[in-house]
Amino acid sequence: MSPSTSLEQLATFKAQNPRASQEFLDKASPLLKDLKNTKVNDDVWPVIEQLAMAALDVGRLDIAKTAWKALADRIGQESPRVILLQGLIMEASEPLDLALRYYEAEAQKHSHNPAFWKRQVAVLRQMGKVEEATNELKSLLDTFYSDLEGWLELADLYSSCCHYSLAQQALSHALLLAPQNSFTFLQFAETAFTAGDMPLALKNFLIVIDMNDSDVPAPQDQSPTGISVRAWWGVKLCARRLLYPPAGGVNDSASKTAIPKNLKMIDQLATERVLTAYSGERGIHNRDVVSRWMSKE
Amino acid sequence: MSSATSLYLDPSIRDWVLFPISLVMILVGVLRHYVLLLLQNKPKPQTRPQIREQRALTRSQLLRATAAQSPIAPPFYLTISQNLKQAFTDGVYLKDGPPAPKKVTKGGAESDEPEFPQPPSLFSDPSQMDNMMGQFKTQTVVMIPQMVIMGWVNFFFSGFVAIKLPFPLTLGFKPMMQRGISTPDMDTRWVSSLSWYFLNFFGLNGVYRLLLGNEDTGVDMQQMTGMPNMAAATPAVPQDYNKLFKQEKENLEFDEGFYKWIGEDVEDRVLRKYGKLPSV
Repeated sequence: MSPSTSLEQLATFKAQNPRASQEFLDKASPLLKDLKNTKVNDDVWPVIEQLAMAALDVGRLDIAKTAWKALADRIGQESPRVILLQGLIMEASEPLDLALRYYEAEAQKHSHNPAFWKRQVAVLRQMGKVEEATNELKSLLDTFYSDLEGWLELADLYSSCCHYSLAQQALSHALLLAPQNSFTFLQFAETAFTAGDMPLALKNFLIVIDMNDSDVPAPQDQSPTGISVRAWWGVKLCARRLLYPPAGGVNDSASKTAIPKNLKMIDQLATERVLTAYSGERGIHNRDVVSRWMSKE
Repeated sequence: MSSATSLYLDPSIRDWVLFPISLVMILVGVLRHYVLLLLQNKPKPQTRPQIREQRALTRSQLLRATAAQSPIAPPFYLTISQNLKQAFTDGVYLKDGPPAPKKVTKGGAESDEPEFPQPPSLFSDPSQMDNMMGQFKTQTVVMIPQMVIMGWVNFFFSGFVAIKLPFPLTLGFKPMMQRGISTPDMDTRWVSSLSWYFLNFFGLNGVYRLLLGNEDTGVDMQQMTGMPNMAAATPAVPQDYNKLFKQEKENLEFDEGFYKWIGEDVEDRVLRKYGKLPSV
């Protein structure tokens, strides 16, 4: 295989972003040996950086360090990406508070680059200091508002502490930043469901379905797949809770979202769609369970 | 046209005038490139409050961008919108922090109006001064060698006819081609040494780019022409964020009127799509 095609192939890992670190490591580590003897073209360096991260992911510290050394020799130790890589190696090999102090110092130096600050938050979370991590992340997002990953992480942090309404707020910022992502809507709907805000959850599940079907000409003839199945389940759960409120429970919506008028029809449609999803070859085994659950009102 | 044919150029003029001028100019250009690289100080990284101030507007812009088809439910939208409006009014995002309320004015009357920082002026900010010093240094490095070369050409080679162009030109080019020679009947194809200097001065940019690679040579056309154009030399005027925030606040109020949640009638849309409701 020629070097350029293999580089191209390795670059697809970055584009598609699968977590196939071992595979990447096997394919990319020969590159590391070639670095010294031949004159390599500059496209190889991002791959080497990626290789170091993949090596860290599978615990091959030796490869990561060699890759870091090569990068530091070629690009210089001043490059933020090289510094960040060193921090990652430190996280893997040294005690976490050392890495934390390292990131803090670098974040002070590179105040325009949020990468170190983000790692600082990540290390704080690894150390179990959720409150500090949340506070740091909040001030990070106050400065770098448009950091989508940061908002999703904040929502996750809040959810992990059962602060569901705060998680919803963080997710609503994420939705503003990426309104095209139906997975964020799904997460929002599920968070609202967990928080007990049924009407809001129902609406958001329906938005997910609406978004996913937007390019399907006749959605009723097809069996829902992927994220839609989950969304239909969500619709069904919400509709059932709204139609038959559990004894003693109240269906009040914290967000004052109105309950849809055609709730019965939505419930029927959701039942239909979920059963369709379990009618294909792959779902047929579970169909009994599903239909039993459906008939048990 | 008899004068044109009867004129012969000594080859040593070519060797000792034409080539040296071009060579010296190219070498000085290359040297200047490296001196400029040395002089260029890296822009200071912005501090966090500065970044925060700069990016505060994106928050409301993002919110407003989707207002007509907003992905978030009314309570969330209104909370964000109102918080932003309040923050813009109070100047929370200003890099020096919200202004302290003024206690007592001169007349002894109490005023609730907090004092906002004055709009920044070009000369008050020390970092802006640094910028202007940098600009000035660059200008100097570009200008001084050019003046020295021009003086050198003028002193040693004034009145030299350096080259004959291989194509005819109209009389209009005479002042451009024969600077420093005042012979009214000479053909325009003859180029004087001083004009050759100017031709090089304007035309060598492409050669530098070839020699030094396509990177930013630090010598753009503006500087090549040597005219210190004040409009281009002026660094970006610092923004008065306080004023921008006040404007943005009004935009936010305006867009609250346009706000519509996409979830508002989503159940009807889905039902219609699945044929449960008659389509409109």
